[in-house]
Amino acid sequence: MISRKLQYVIASLVLAILAMGFYLVHLKRKAESIGAPPPVQALTAPVSGSAEQMTLYLAVDDDDSLRPTAITSPLPSDPGERGRLALHTLIARYLQKDSPHPLGAGADVHDVYLLDPASAVVNLNAAFSQSHASGIEVEQLSIFSLVLTLKAQLPQLNRVRFLVDGKPRDTLAGHLDLSGWFDVAMVAEAAKGLR
Amino acid sequence: MTKVFAISVRVIVLLFLLISAGSAAEPRRISVYAPQAVYQVDILVREGVDYVGLTDLIDPLGRLESRVDGKKLKLTFNGAEADFQDGKRPYHVRSNKLELTSNFLLIDGRGYIPAASIAQLLPRLADQATDFHSTSRRLFIGSAQMHFSVDVRRAPSRVVLSFSAPVNPSTLIEKGRVRLLFRREPLVSSGADNVSYSDPFLQSTSFTESPAGAELVVNLLQPATVSLGDGGRTVTIAAAVPVAAPAAVPPPQSAASSAPSSAASSANQARPAPRPRPFVILDPAHGGFETGAILSPTLQEKNVTLALARRLQKELEARGIPVVLTRVADNLLTWDQRAISANTSHAALYVALHASAAGHGVRIYTSLIPSAAPSQGKPSFLPWETAQSPFLVQSSSAASAIAAECTSAGLPVRASAAPLRPLNSVTTAAVAVEISPLGSLADELAAPDYQQKVAAALASGIAALRGKLGDAQ
Repeated sequence: MISRKLQYVIASLVLAILAMGFYLVHLKRKAESIGAPPPVQALTAPVSGSAEQMTLYLAVDDDDSLRPTAITSPLPSDPGERGRLALHTLIARYLQKDSPHPLGAGADVHDVYLLDPASAVVNLNAAFSQSHASGIEVEQLSIFSLVLTLKAQLPQLNRVRFLVDGKPRDTLAGHLDLSGWFDVAMVAEAAKGLR
Repeated sequence: MTKVFAISVRVIVLLFLLISAGSAAEPRRISVYAPQAVYQVDILVREGVDYVGLTDLIDPLGRLESRVDGKKLKLTFNGAEADFQDGKRPYHVRSNKLELTSNFLLIDGRGYIPAASIAQLLPRLADQATDFHSTSRRLFIGSAQMHFSVDVRRAPSRVVLSFSAPVNPSTLIEKGRVRLLFRREPLVSSGADNVSYSDPFLQSTSFTESPAGAELVVNLLQPATVSLGDGGRTVTIAAAVPVAAPAAVPPPQSAASSAPSSAASSANQARPAPRPRPFVILDPAHGGFETGAILSPTLQEKNVTLALARRLQKELEARGIPVVLTRVADNLLTWDQRAISANTSHAALYVALHASAAGHGVRIYTSLIPSAAPSQGKPSFLPWETAQSPFLVQSSSAASAIAAECTSAGLPVRASAAPLRPLNSVTTAAVAVEISPLGSLADELAAPDYQQKVAAALASGIAALRGKLGDAQ
């Protein structure tokens, strides 16, 4: 026979469990009503140096275009760092709420390596490709916008190759071939059909 | 002194033999055939047990994240979790406790499992059927396996090998037999490996697997020729027609010669008419495990492209244009298989079909590679990655003609160039077409009216190319 005292304790515990359960459900609903967290914004590292004009080739999904957009920003003198900052700024623009070409949260560029003044290797992060929309056009706009923005900062550039997390990748998101070098002149020529 | 010298010589010879044997030995590998990739994984031998690197094995199959926590390796593969402990057999995968055939190894932060445990681990981790042929060290994942059937036909004598997907075997014709070596194709036998036939042409077939691939040997009783057909899906081994030697030419007006002559004539008449080569080969992109873009919660790109390809096929056939499809069902083909299909079909035009929820209307793409002049003299070898180069001018003409018809049909259209596979490896005029909805809803891509409108416009554009691209290659 369970003592009356113990019965009170068990009843109190059951009540407490039920109350906690209801409170948990309430908290879950409240969290869901707040909505998804805002996309992670890529932060631009502080750069010392005089402000210079930088041209970004912004992809616009609505009309399949690449729009050259001039902004003023301090730019480092090192070409690789200069290229990385330009792409970083471009991607940060794509991550904003009113982005004309939305990218997935966390998309960014790790590094831009210059093998020589004419050859650059762009190392994107995994979030860039994993969260990228799938389709020829949408992938083409992303890559062409990166190539042309890089070319605008590094005029001697002739070819660009892309890696994802330091590894070669077959396609960006199932369509555009990332396995080879992009000839900058050919990209610029092909991009004329986009404007 | 002599004894010491003899022992030294023996030791040196033994060391030399050991070093030679070690350097000559080929590294042992497991060939992995998965719907999304074909690759090889090195084998590491520890205490007589074959091990394979977990990352090497799993990474090409999906999204893999792993971290080392002390003596434990924890990994997440496509959302499934697993953990292993160095020097221990038990491991966990998807909350199930299982046991490896030998101890797990953690070397320099890399995890190794016994090869014998692959068949136990992979189905649970990757959630796909796995078939490991340990003798030939060939591992098949998911629906990657290819099968074949042998069909013996008469008049004329020939053996038709039919494959479940396009193949491109290395072929060796020897006296009394034809050897087909499939290095990259995941070919397996559906029945008995050795089959004998009571046929005047075909004696027997034998199928063997080795780490180098699969080999199919067809033993014949007559000399033969080999040809690839049906977009790489069939290999026909036919009795070779003997070249008439001058001495064998029948004397004119000879009564004795008339019978063989008429027999040959009737044999020629009995030979089936050659199948017309297609003018266009349609390639519905994606398929099987590889869905392409998720266009809406209920719509996948692979299904839209196949439906559009079927409509386009009907439209083209209604216009009298011979057409073949690279796939007619929900199966995955690799990019190389698609290019092989296109190149062996000898069609005048290759059209890849894609669908996207972004943008509006129709986009037509040609390959973004440097153009090269077509070779005028002897046919030359073309690099696989840029085989499209000499055909870019024809491809651009095709894109323009199709774009013009789409514009006439009132569809928003844009032509551009993009680096796309397998377009770069196709040796004929080649374009990729991506369709998007006219409005904002992706479900419009599955609407019969819209698909019909697009198919009719594309068919008109392709029909306008007849006579411009020339006959089939």
